[in-house]
Amino acid sequence: MLSVIVSGLAVGAVYVITALIYNLMYSTSKVLSVTTGHICMLGGVFGAWFTTVLGWPVLPALLGAVAIGTLFGVVTELVAVRRVLARSDEHLWLLSTLALATMTQQAVGLWWGTEPRRFPRVIPQDFSHGAADQKFWLPIGVMVVAALGLELFYRRTMWGKLFQATSEDAFAARARGISTDRVRMMSYAISGALGGLGGFAAGQLTFAYFALGLTLTLNGFIAIAVGGLGSSVGALVGGLALGLLSAFATYLFGGEFQQTIAVGLLMLVLLIRPEGLFGARGVRAV
Amino acid sequence: MTALQAQAVSKHFGGIRALDQVSLTLRPGEVHGLIGPNGSGKTTMLNLLSGYYTKDEGVILLNSAPIDAASVRHRARLGIARTFQKPRLLETLSVLDNAMVGAWRDASSSFLSAALALPFVTRREAALRERARELVLGVGLGHAMHRRASLLEHAEQRFLEIARALAARPRFLLLDEPAGGLTVAEIGHLEAVVRTVRDAGIGVLLVEHHTDFVFRVCSVVTTLDRGRIIAQGTPDVVRNDAEVNRVYLGA
Amino acid sequence: MRRLAAGLAIAVALAALPSWATNQYQVHLATLIGVYWVLIAGLNLVVGYSGQLSIGHVGLLAIGAYVYAVLAGTWDWPPLLALAASGAAGGLCGLLLGLPSLRLPGFYFAMATLAFSLIVAELSLAMGSVTGGGTGLAVPGFPAPFDTPGGLYWLVLGIAGIVTLLTWNVASRMWGLALIAIRDSPVAASAAGISIFRAKLTVFVFSGVTAGLAGALFAALQSYITPDTFAFDIGLFFFVCIIIGGRGSILGPFLGTVVLTALPEVVAPLAKLGNFFYGALLLVVVLVIPEGIGHLVEIAAARIARRRRHESHVVQPDLPRLAAALARGPAA
Repeated sequence: MLSVIVSGLAVGAVYVITALIYNLMYSTSKVLSVTTGHICMLGGVFGAWFTTVLGWPVLPALLGAVAIGTLFGVVTELVAVRRVLARSDEHLWLLSTLALATMTQQAVGLWWGTEPRRFPRVIPQDFSHGAADQKFWLPIGVMVVAALGLELFYRRTMWGKLFQATSEDAFAARARGISTDRVRMMSYAISGALGGLGGFAAGQLTFAYFALGLTLTLNGFIAIAVGGLGSSVGALVGGLALGLLSAFATYLFGGEFQQTIAVGLLMLVLLIRPEGLFGARGVRAV
Repeated sequence: MTALQAQAVSKHFGGIRALDQVSLTLRPGEVHGLIGPNGSGKTTMLNLLSGYYTKDEGVILLNSAPIDAASVRHRARLGIARTFQKPRLLETLSVLDNAMVGAWRDASSSFLSAALALPFVTRREAALRERARELVLGVGLGHAMHRRASLLEHAEQRFLEIARALAARPRFLLLDEPAGGLTVAEIGHLEAVVRTVRDAGIGVLLVEHHTDFVFRVCSVVTTLDRGRIIAQGTPDVVRNDAEVNRVYLGA
Repeated sequence: MRRLAAGLAIAVALAALPSWATNQYQVHLATLIGVYWVLIAGLNLVVGYSGQLSIGHVGLLAIGAYVYAVLAGTWDWPPLLALAASGAAGGLCGLLLGLPSLRLPGFYFAMATLAFSLIVAELSLAMGSVTGGGTGLAVPGFPAPFDTPGGLYWLVLGIAGIVTLLTWNVASRMWGLALIAIRDSPVAASAAGISIFRAKLTVFVFSGVTAGLAGALFAALQSYITPDTFAFDIGLFFFVCIIIGGRGSILGPFLGTVVLTALPEVVAPLAKLGNFFYGALLLVVVLVIPEGIGHLVEIAAARIARRRRHESHVVQPDLPRLAAALARGPAA
């Protein structure tokens, strides 16, 4: 039972990290990017490549994965978001980020292969620890650090306050001389770094797998939709609830209906509270 | 009584009272002006009448029956049409097609009968298209009949919005600042169109900043300030009201 | 009249394809394009006209395929009856998917359709006793005269023709305008009295029916199906065909379907790149010509027309005409 809870929390932690990235990108751009899960996927795949193929030690490999994630975040902003936001059609960003996500996934599939590949041990530990295994605790640890770090970042740093000002009213922020383009770029870079770190930390749990991105994009989205778009607490609750639910469902019914059950949770919450558990009700403007 | 009425309607957003106990009556064949400074609640009133907002207090009546529960779509079907302050045209469609969309209610064909191109659908839509054509010609856009709406200039967009609203055969037409951005000559054309619409027995609510135009064409004028009515009556009464002059006309 | 003649000529040329094709593979490819088009024609009303970005229609395709395979194979139903049942099942599942998801904002809806296709994949794998699980199912073909590659092609061509005609009828009438209004300005659509949710749901169910039919035809063409046959990528492919062809058009997405299906077969390296190629194409179209390649022709035509005459923008109301139009009743 303990191992079910711990593995549920660990899987949930990966969803939470993805959900936090969604929120971070959304705050400055009002875009929900399809590439969100792919950032984490890149962190895992490149982490595995740096360590197992290139033979780098853990720390440089980790920094490398974070760098790749950051780069991808910046590319997402430059290619799929910035140009599209200049136009008013709200569907376009969905198409452009979907296109970029598809290209990324397929490129990784062609280069890395379509089979999940093993991710090496980050900390020396043998495989007999059950619930104490690092593959569970690394993502949980990163989730805690990321959630706390983002909270501190928003409250204490100048950039964090700029993010919030842009999030609340981009027009007013621009009127006060804030370069919303730079703020948005910064938020995508930080999102990328966080995704690279999260993907690296979760590598042993998820394996280095090219199709992981789409799964995380969907489940991270379910986490924010359940928890409420824009809320960090919501991301935590939504992601962990989803992880635990999947773990218990697998434990009770086997792993065959995981996605069905996750979507069932989403539908249930959306029927009762369309804005999510911790989300703010949107105001409609005519 | 055949009329669109608001009775003691209030609406607040957060702590701000956008409308406070406002009553007005729009009768068929009458042009009713709604004026006041920016933020006085004119557009809020229009949104309440057309169903985009729901009132907090009071009641909205159509022909003496409350319609507060009716959605935008439902009110459109009951004969309340409107235009928008910022024209909302379908940019990829032609001018004629834009006007045609207004006639959706009269087309009322099921998906299946349309897919099968049943003769009655084809016949009915041909008649509606002919009527939409006449309306486009009538408001003065004959020169642009088959032009993409995205290629229209501002004034043309305003007149097309009116043609589309009229294609719905409304009993009440709510115009949200139709003269905004128009030249003097174009306002003259607009005035003629509004009079023609009025003479056809349609009640017109005119939310407007061009007070000269409003006083010329309206038989009743309501003036709002910070959500309250400060004057209501014939143009002469309102124009000479001390309060109206102080807060709005600035004489 | 000239248009009718051209249409007839194209129809005859298409119908005769099995006789002028140089090898069986060309017939197979043409059949595959037809099968895809049956689905895409319906999906086009959803994506291209009403603007609902469904990326998971492959789920409905799979449902149609499995219903056909199980009914015609395991249960020994007459294949044509099973084909009809596939269409009905697709429509029913479209209804069940559309009811909760079509009220959601754009990204939520897209994710719901993605989730739906993943659920279908999961269930087709899990319900092994019905679907054969990972091993899959053998699919019976259609009876004579549709039991040869040429025969199946004719069946597909006939159904594709009917579906095209139905969608063309919808798109070129008031319904098409209403769907575009829903896509481009929901506010204007509701002001015109259009029931947005009902209209969206109606075309979505229709697209479910065509996807179900396409699924049955697809299964019969492949003659063996497994859950892997219905990878998410195919759903993306359908979607890309429409976006690239251009929204609010039927010819554009049709050309998109033909070119994108045939291109990887003709240019071998593209087949290897697969989705990367579709993704790159989609990105370029979105960034450079968001209204689709079909729109380029329109722009060029408009340019030429504008050069020819100086366009007037003078509004000159014709009041007697307006009064007469206002006096007219509903549909004369």
